[in-house]
Amino acid sequence: MKAIGSALVEDWPMSHLHYLGVLLFIGLCGIGVNFGFKSGLTKRWRIFFATDIGILIVYLAWDSWAIHKHNWFFDAKQIIGVHLFNHIPIEEILFFMVVPFTTVATFLALKKLTGWEADRT
Amino acid sequence: MGGRSHVIYSDIALDAVMIAIIADLFILRTQMVTRGLFWLSYGLILPFQLLTNWWLTSKSIVMYTPDAIIGRRLAGAPIEDLLFGFSMILLTLALWDYFSSKSSERNG
Repeated sequence: MKAIGSALVEDWPMSHLHYLGVLLFIGLCGIGVNFGFKSGLTKRWRIFFATDIGILIVYLAWDSWAIHKHNWFFDAKQIIGVHLFNHIPIEEILFFMVVPFTTVATFLALKKLTGWEADRT
Repeated sequence: MGGRSHVIYSDIALDAVMIAIIADLFILRTQMVTRGLFWLSYGLILPFQLLTNWWLTSKSIVMYTPDAIIGRRLAGAPIEDLLFGFSMILLTLALWDYFSSKSSERNG
């Protein structure tokens, strides 16, 4: 049993979760800001959805091209190993969702805290 | 052959900043770059970008081909990442503001 268990761990070590860990950190910052300051972002999820579709289209196109051209590349041992179109790690798609979420949450929290632009939606 | 492939990330990162500014000022007309709230948000997010850049590059989760970047680095990541990050934060907030005002128009 022990041999089987260690063989599994060797095949797929926890290091595969490293990139995901970075995303978890960014996401938890966003969730903390959103609920801690009641930014109201989750109530307006449709607007965020539309925003993120735009970001995903633009930045995944760039990412796809850059990975294809080898501008940047990923350590296969530190990503889950699931890819979109056979070359974009799933973590990249999550990155372009989690970072915009945290960005908008920060913007809305600062708007509330400073009272600036109180006349704008 | 070599000349054309050199400094690709740098060129595109600069284009991305220009596209985001043009979208903000002239297409979406959200004027983010003229608003204090935008710059305050960017100022708060930037140190976190540097932190995660350092995290991703110091552990070699993400690596860059030397030919695609000018070679100067900040917090472990190519200096071009600042342009990439700025363009994405600007475009995200411009799109958010654009869709927010659209939806409030519709609701009266």
